[in-house]
Amino acid sequence: MSYLVKLEHFEGPLDLLLHLISKAKVQIEDISITEITEQYLETLRLMEQFDIEVASDFLVMAATLLHIKSCLLVPRPKTELPEDQLEETDPRQELIAKLLEYKKFKEAGIKLKKREEYFSRMYYKLPEEKIFMDNQEVLPTNADIEMLQKVFLLLLKNQKNGRESIPIIHKIKRDPITVNEKIGELKKYFSKYTQTTFFQLFTKHTDREGIIITFLALLELLKENFIDVIQHYPFGDIIIKRRA
Amino acid sequence: MDERDLMGIIESILFVSGDPVSARDISQILELDIRKVRKLIKKMIDCFHFERRGLQIIMVNDTYQLATRPEYSQYIEKYIGKKHTQNLTQASLETLAIIAYKQPITKAEIEAIRGVKSDYTINTLISRGFIREVDRMDTPGRPILYGTTEYFLKSFGLSSLDELPPLESK
Repeated sequence: MSYLVKLEHFEGPLDLLLHLISKAKVQIEDISITEITEQYLETLRLMEQFDIEVASDFLVMAATLLHIKSCLLVPRPKTELPEDQLEETDPRQELIAKLLEYKKFKEAGIKLKKREEYFSRMYYKLPEEKIFMDNQEVLPTNADIEMLQKVFLLLLKNQKNGRESIPIIHKIKRDPITVNEKIGELKKYFSKYTQTTFFQLFTKHTDREGIIITFLALLELLKENFIDVIQHYPFGDIIIKRRA
Repeated sequence: MDERDLMGIIESILFVSGDPVSARDISQILELDIRKVRKLIKKMIDCFHFERRGLQIIMVNDTYQLATRPEYSQYIEKYIGKKHTQNLTQASLETLAIIAYKQPITKAEIEAIRGVKSDYTINTLISRGFIREVDRMDTPGRPILYGTTEYFLKSFGLSSLDELPPLESK
């Protein structure tokens, strides 16, 4: 004969503890750590029997429970503090606070579910198509002949473009020259000359990318010990010398 | 134009829009004080409810939208078939509740309350559009802070976060 045991699914150790507490019909504040620990471990054993992988979070909680239990068993050392300054620390306190906090949100979740079920039964209408021009919405109230003409021309243009190429493709420009190419160029330069300066490497027409690529190429050459660089003051020109 | 005209115009704008329309937009279109607009819509909402119209006006964060009345959904579903919705799991619901009430909140704080890892649940909630990353916390590691979306409010029939049912402490 086989049993059919329904093992409930628990979201986590706190969920399982809440379940055990409600089954024991006690208030969270009044839990008996000894009993709850026993039941908790029993459930974990059951879970293992059914080959359910017990998540590490459950094991951490088991350890916490055992720790609290041991704290309750071991007599507390006498302190020199006067009686009234002794803090009444119940080792269960932290766990109870956590359980209460978790329970609050678990219940709020159930309430939310009801709301969601109700409000998911609403239906909406799709919006009417809006006409945009230059990012500005055209309402019939402010349209005049000029605007109509503009819209018309725009439509014609769109249609014409539409036939030729439907998707708008952004082209990514290739760098005009790669760092490697620049390195080659510089090496060639230094085969003729022994020295130059950073500023001299550019013409008026060198764009920002050109400057960056040249700079990267120089860094590369410096790493290869191909050149030496000297800069006399910050932001000043850089003297570049070929290594002997 | 009397109030009836104004309300009629608002209703037709909401119909055409389909999507939520802000009180500000309506006040601009009608060239009417925004407070007056809100008052008119409030009146319309009550009136729609009172007459048990098939449509209602729902309010989310000062935007307004026409929607059918949930009570009549079974008949709508007879006509167009049932909407396919995926139910939220308990894990999702409790995580969503924590985020809704404690936002902005980090993953670590969520996990501290739930007592379990919550990466998967958080990702599910993000992909379903209920929550989003709202900011980063100004502490080492700059952890992500999560908060709920407007879609969350709409899906749960809330006008604003203030309307969340109060948390019971026991």
